[in-house]
Amino acid sequence: MSAASVGDGLRRARRGMAPAGVGPRGGRRPRGRFGGRKATLVAFALPSLVLVVLLNLYPVIYAAFQTVHNGTLISSGDFVGIRNFVDVLTAVSFWRAAGFTLVFTIVGVFGSWIVGLGLAMLLRTRIPAGGLFKVLLLLPWIVPVVVSATSWNWLVATPQSPFPVLAQALGLGNVLFLADPLLAQVTVCVFKVWISFPFMMMMMSSALASVDTNVYEAARVDGANGRQIFFGITLPLISRSTYISWILMTIFCVNDFPTIFLLTGGGPVNATTSLVVLSYRTAFAQYQTGPAAAIAAIMTVTLVIVSVVLYRQIRKVNIE
Amino acid sequence: MSTQSQQGLAFTRRGFLGLAGTAGAASVLAACTTGGGGGSGGTLKFWNMPWGNPEFNKLDKQITLDYKPKSGLPKASYQVVQWANFTQTFSSAVASKTGPAVSSGGGTQAFLFESQGAIAYADDLLDSWKKNGLYDDFLPGLIDTMKVDKGYAAVPYNLDMRVLWYNKSLLDQAGATPPTDWQSFLDACEALKKIGVYGYGTAAGAGAYTGSHILVSWMIGNGGGLFDEDHQPNCVTPENIEAINFVLECVSKGYVDPASGTYTSANAQDQWKAKKFGMGFDTGGLANNVGGDIKNDLLVGTPLKSPKGTQGMLFFPNNIMMYTNTPSQKGSEAFLTYYYQNMAPLWTKNTGIGLPPLKSITETKEFQADANNVKIIQEWQPIARTWAAPGGNSLFLGVTAVDGTPIMDTFAQSVLGGKTDAKSALQQLQDGIKSALNK
Repeated sequence: MSAASVGDGLRRARRGMAPAGVGPRGGRRPRGRFGGRKATLVAFALPSLVLVVLLNLYPVIYAAFQTVHNGTLISSGDFVGIRNFVDVLTAVSFWRAAGFTLVFTIVGVFGSWIVGLGLAMLLRTRIPAGGLFKVLLLLPWIVPVVVSATSWNWLVATPQSPFPVLAQALGLGNVLFLADPLLAQVTVCVFKVWISFPFMMMMMSSALASVDTNVYEAARVDGANGRQIFFGITLPLISRSTYISWILMTIFCVNDFPTIFLLTGGGPVNATTSLVVLSYRTAFAQYQTGPAAAIAAIMTVTLVIVSVVLYRQIRKVNIE
Repeated sequence: MSTQSQQGLAFTRRGFLGLAGTAGAASVLAACTTGGGGGSGGTLKFWNMPWGNPEFNKLDKQITLDYKPKSGLPKASYQVVQWANFTQTFSSAVASKTGPAVSSGGGTQAFLFESQGAIAYADDLLDSWKKNGLYDDFLPGLIDTMKVDKGYAAVPYNLDMRVLWYNKSLLDQAGATPPTDWQSFLDACEALKKIGVYGYGTAAGAGAYTGSHILVSWMIGNGGGLFDEDHQPNCVTPENIEAINFVLECVSKGYVDPASGTYTSANAQDQWKAKKFGMGFDTGGLANNVGGDIKNDLLVGTPLKSPKGTQGMLFFPNNIMMYTNTPSQKGSEAFLTYYYQNMAPLWTKNTGIGLPPLKSITETKEFQADANNVKIIQEWQPIARTWAAPGGNSLFLGVTAVDGTPIMDTFAQSVLGGKTDAKSALQQLQDGIKSALNK
């Protein structure tokens, strides 16, 4: 093979192309046939596109329309410009809900990630009945949230519930897990971590499985201790999956309605009202679709910004 | 590849293109179709809620399907609408004109839709009922609760009452007597407290609105309430302040379960079952909902007299409404006449529905067999008032700002949590209602 052909081959390899002469006989496909393939591809995509447009795009456009109207559930109302946004952004209830959403999301994302990563690393070691443990640990994610929330309510709601009884036995007094505003916030956040860690565990397990074990052996040969291996090798090598899981969990947390609504309904005295709960209550309890859509729009824009920032981190990791 | 398979591929591709095009067109057409609402198709859609146990909707469906319309009028179809997200269900159906011609629903639903022009007024129907005796069969004052400026928005269907319940065994154990006024209520609570039982059982957590209903009931019972004659919020009044101060006194003395503000209805029922609630306020169906051995111990108390000697309690006249989107308005009215003339078995067969709106049903031996229900009809219904009190008793759109809204939840949880004073809580409530009404 000549030098020219070797260089050409490397260029092709970098571009992910097969070596010349290996493709279908007859060289390039006729233009007409390529056009036919394109039409087929479009045809395959068309039903999905139609569904996406009808099921997603229309509601999004209508929601955007509602943000600038003072409508109700069954009428679109009059055009009010940005008044809904002004009303929402100047309301104390919005900022209180935004604050709780932030706390709920931070605890939900990092709490579930820490627990999930810890368990994923633990399950990499050979333990008896490891498969069974994996299945059991997935249960909080698998069980419908209505069931989980009802179970947690049974565990903490009344003074006769198991956790308050346990707290009493431990000498902590009459602990009101859902009645005290701060404790209710803590309970909701812990509940979120509990139902979310299996997802993180799965993500981190697959990320850890993709790390070449030779890297660890080499590090140990070089005298690295466990802490150095974790922070110097494991975390950087799974950072791409970590960022992806953070993006997904951020979206899950910010948009999480049932976890909060089923456990506390946003109370006591709005202590656990997140933005999505506030939006729901504004639309379906106060029948004000404009401000409710404005809250949803603000949430969406914020989520997009956070996702873009985290996605850039992923690209940065890829480049490095 | 064989010739046959190549032909097959070519055929499949074209077929697929055709299929995709058809599917797309069908989807677009489906999206553009106005749909067969209560107003099309020649059948009158009746949507009803699960008001009682599973037997309720079976029997209700049978009554509906047994309807034989006069010539030229539509037959009726039946659909159960679950309580979960019912507001969304009705709103989207009404907006897309695929909704019912006749339905029950939330207690204030008719007034919300009436303001949007979606309700057919019941004036002609009620006129016709004056001739056949149905009108006079309604319990006193009930029909007027449905009157709005332009006419009657709906017809009363079942009464959702709030009443005082007590556990006879626990009261006996505590050496207390059933209360008859505010002072004797405090005395009974004090006696119950000594045996580790709460005297003011209530719930104001997720989806439980009884807590806020009872706070408004204390106000109404003291001659107050939320709205004035002009349907404007008027919460910070001496009567209301006195009533909320009374509740705050109950909270501070430990008569109210401190977790009440976050109890669901199920949590509250658990407390009754656990004999932690010796007295409390709940719906007329509490004893049946709690069930078990406790059921027989639970008795309806007497309406409490305020220090001024006044009485009052909030109630919800659930109703049936007719929509403008109907295949025939005469058909809707004919069906409702038939339904009201034949709905008695819903009560006489113990399907669990709220209390009946018709005197003739309350006089049946089956209804009279339940002493609690009889007491509610005899003692509580006459003093019961709607959200519109003290300004009036006819419901109106503004009550949607307080019925199950976050404003009321916050108010109830603040008061039952005991971390507020009456005037501040009422002022916050007043501001919240005003703000909601102005939007």
